[in-house]
Amino acid sequence: MDWLAPATGLIAAAVAVPALVILYLLKLRRREMLVSSTLLWRRAVQDLRVNAPFQRMRWNVLFLLQLLALAALVVALARPVLSLATGEARRYVILVDRSASMNSTDVRPTRLAEAKRQAKALVESLREGRSWYLASESDQAMVIAFADRAKVLSNYTSDKAQLEAAVDAVEPTDGRSLLAEALTVARAFATPAGTEDKGRSAESPAALELFSDGRIADLGEIALAPGELTFHKVGSSGANVAITAMQARRSYEDPDRLEVFANLANFGGEPVECEVALSIDATVRGMRPVAIPPREAGRASEPDKPGQAAVSFQLAEPGAGALEVRVVHAPGGGGSGQADVLASDDATWAILEPPRRLTAALVTEGNEPLRLALRACPLARLDVLEPAAFEQAVRSAGDVSPWGLVVLDRCAPDDLPRGNYLVFGRPPAASGARAEGELENQSVVDWQDKHPVLNFVNLENLFAATCWKLDLPRDAVVLAEFEDTPALAMVRRRGGIFLLAGFDALKSNWPFDAGFVMFCYNASAFAGSESGDAGRESLAVGDPVTLQAAPGLQRAEVQAPGRAPETIESDPSGMFRYARTTRAGVYRLIPGGAAAAPKDVPAAEAGPEKQFAVNLFDSSESRVEPAAELVAAGQVVEATETQTGPANREVWPLLVGLCLALVAVEWYVYNRKARL
Amino acid sequence: MSEAHVQPAARQARLTDLLDAALLARLDALDVMSRKILQGKLKGERRSKRRGQSVEFADHRPYVSGDDLRFLDWNIYGRLDQLFLKLYLEEQDLSVHILLDSSGSTASGDPPKDLAMKRLAAALAYVGLANNNRVSLCTFADGLTGRLTNMRGRNYLHPMAEFLLDAKAEGLSHFDKACRQWVAGRIGSGVTVVLSDFFFKEGLDAGLKRLVSDRYELFVVQMLSPQERKPELMGDLRLVDLEDADVADITVSRALLDFYKRNLAAYCNMLKDFCTRRGATYVLADSAEPVERLVLEHLRRHRLLG
Repeated sequence: MDWLAPATGLIAAAVAVPALVILYLLKLRRREMLVSSTLLWRRAVQDLRVNAPFQRMRWNVLFLLQLLALAALVVALARPVLSLATGEARRYVILVDRSASMNSTDVRPTRLAEAKRQAKALVESLREGRSWYLASESDQAMVIAFADRAKVLSNYTSDKAQLEAAVDAVEPTDGRSLLAEALTVARAFATPAGTEDKGRSAESPAALELFSDGRIADLGEIALAPGELTFHKVGSSGANVAITAMQARRSYEDPDRLEVFANLANFGGEPVECEVALSIDATVRGMRPVAIPPREAGRASEPDKPGQAAVSFQLAEPGAGALEVRVVHAPGGGGSGQADVLASDDATWAILEPPRRLTAALVTEGNEPLRLALRACPLARLDVLEPAAFEQAVRSAGDVSPWGLVVLDRCAPDDLPRGNYLVFGRPPAASGARAEGELENQSVVDWQDKHPVLNFVNLENLFAATCWKLDLPRDAVVLAEFEDTPALAMVRRRGGIFLLAGFDALKSNWPFDAGFVMFCYNASAFAGSESGDAGRESLAVGDPVTLQAAPGLQRAEVQAPGRAPETIESDPSGMFRYARTTRAGVYRLIPGGAAAAPKDVPAAEAGPEKQFAVNLFDSSESRVEPAAELVAAGQVVEATETQTGPANREVWPLLVGLCLALVAVEWYVYNRKARL
Repeated sequence: MSEAHVQPAARQARLTDLLDAALLARLDALDVMSRKILQGKLKGERRSKRRGQSVEFADHRPYVSGDDLRFLDWNIYGRLDQLFLKLYLEEQDLSVHILLDSSGSTASGDPPKDLAMKRLAAALAYVGLANNNRVSLCTFADGLTGRLTNMRGRNYLHPMAEFLLDAKAEGLSHFDKACRQWVAGRIGSGVTVVLSDFFFKEGLDAGLKRLVSDRYELFVVQMLSPQERKPELMGDLRLVDLEDADVADITVSRALLDFYKRNLAAYCNMLKDFCTRRGATYVLADSAEPVERLVLEHLRRHRLLG
């Protein structure tokens, strides 16, 4: 606490306190005098008291103490505030990091709680217009919470209660820490109106106050001006054990068999021994002990490398359910409290689909290589139909639901229902792609070998004598390219997929390549996993959960981890979309909703509920060691050492204490005088 | 009654402690007077109010048919052309009783009140004794504390002086008790002179009422010191009563002094009103005033002496 005039205060205290003591100690001494009679003097004194309109002020210590006590109380009622800040009113943008790493518990209760506390302390230090201060206006602030997205919780205001409520409203997430969007928003609000081209403005730009642990993923893409940002570091420990990757898959050959792989990382400086538990629908199905070495120091400009360990499970699981892999620390000792400060990355989830073999249909007028290639795939059934029969079946059934995959060979019906299609030749209109003519002698020049459809497929030697020049929709994914046109592409339409091969397989050398069988195998497996929904792969935090609504269905209920059930409505395209996947865990989307919501369609027609796994697979967030400085592009911002404290200190508690002390002294003095 | 047997030189010395020779010489020309009709035991050189055959002119009244033409004042007839009759006083014998306050409060003052009162008492007694009047002296504090009664003639001058000089100012004041005691032994008629500061916390009215009588003309002489009349005090004082040690803490201020003086004036006026209503005579004296002025001016003006 600073003092404006410490010398004055000390001198005043040195004078006043002893004076008060002396006043108390000194008794009023009277000189004795013999008189003939006190008769008339007593009458005179009485007359003086009775007749004087006002008591002549007689100073005594009791009166002085009472006066001082009253003065202290009155001044306290006025709530004076000591403010050492001078100058014009300032504006602040309070940026609160609510990413996954801010859920670390090295700072109790969490880093986010500490950041919010410091932010509220900053709010408390804002100067108010009504207090005794040297500025003529109130400070203002706004609150922005950010993780992977920025959210403005309060616009500029000097209302401290509103700002504190906005800070309290910052909820934790498991998202990544991306500062760019938050800075863009903050700068847009920070620059005052009337800023001229050269940057001059009528008032000073706002100060950006960042409350974070510094684990920000996009710092390298951010440019900071000197002094623009004040970094308030939160957190102290970097010890964390995380599951950085997990994959659960069924063997394509033996769908009843489940294989689970998980990678663990130790970001702490000490080795960690723990166990990994595998659960399906909350039933533990396996435990694996694992020892994870400590992190390794990186080279000069490289970050430390975490200690890595892997664990795998193989088990028979013919059913479906929610799979969870969780790190379990031994209670006490060097367990969770010290070695693992972040719990959000200790568990991962995956949704198991029931094992099923695909039923496929081959619509062709005759293509034996293709038929054989498909026969080699682990299909439940392969139906071979002529185009006319297929169209008839579609017209009568109205959909292609018996087949998980329909292979169209040189067949492009005008109207195709929703489904998964592998098309060789002219693309059907339903795919959204158009053929703009034919090309000849095309060779593949490039392909995406990482795509699941092209896994272990080598297209280097693929040559097509003729092919269609494809005009693909903008959302199409080109999987392989000929010299002048896409060769392979994938388009999603109406909840289904179209794998387009814009050439006749029989007019190419592909059927003679082992990759052709592999391609068919991958395509059928891909079609089997891509069931027309938005994919059952794990979602990252922040990715939306989507589900195609049944015809006529408008409402669905979403049960999110750690949150009350919510009701959502389908969008105009008939899709349910839920974007608030801010926490990792299993999300359940129930078409039709709960009992409280009116059902649009009977439950049987609404469709079964769907589960979605949302995981935090982000090494940058799992690396929870707080940064001592922010290294942005071209600018280093060091964490401020000054604790955010109230620059405005209300003095009334001191004055009330002083008043009580004075009253106590006055009581003591009074009693001494009474006894005398 | 006390008798004094001292050598003439010593006697003279004791008397002159109170009254100087010049004053004594002037006192020889005075006599105690009384407005009331008095009859003493002996026919002395006193005058009573009873108008009779006397050579002492007293007053005029208009002539009415039947009056003795020998008493017509022809001087007035010659000036005013009106007939007036002269009136003469008849000389009678006079008893003089002097009550002297010898309580502790009279010792205060500069000059002390008791000395001034003693000197005044001595002057009155001298005049009475010099004119062959019967003089009695009593001192009082808590009741009568001393008596020197039935003195007549110059032979009692010095016992009287010695009695006064030996009286000590001490003790509490019980004025009513003293008056009751004195009245119980009072016989005949005469003049009663009470010398005191009259700062009695109780018994003042009752005592004075006892003293008022048809047979005795009452003279009340209140003796105050200059310090009592115009106190020059300052600061925070603890006043202690000389008699009862009563304590009064005061902080002197102009307002307080003003109220004191008002109360003093009111007290004196109260005493004066009492005397006036009852036909007594009130005299306010200052102990710093020379006794000559007291005697020759105040007492003569108030017709105690003439």
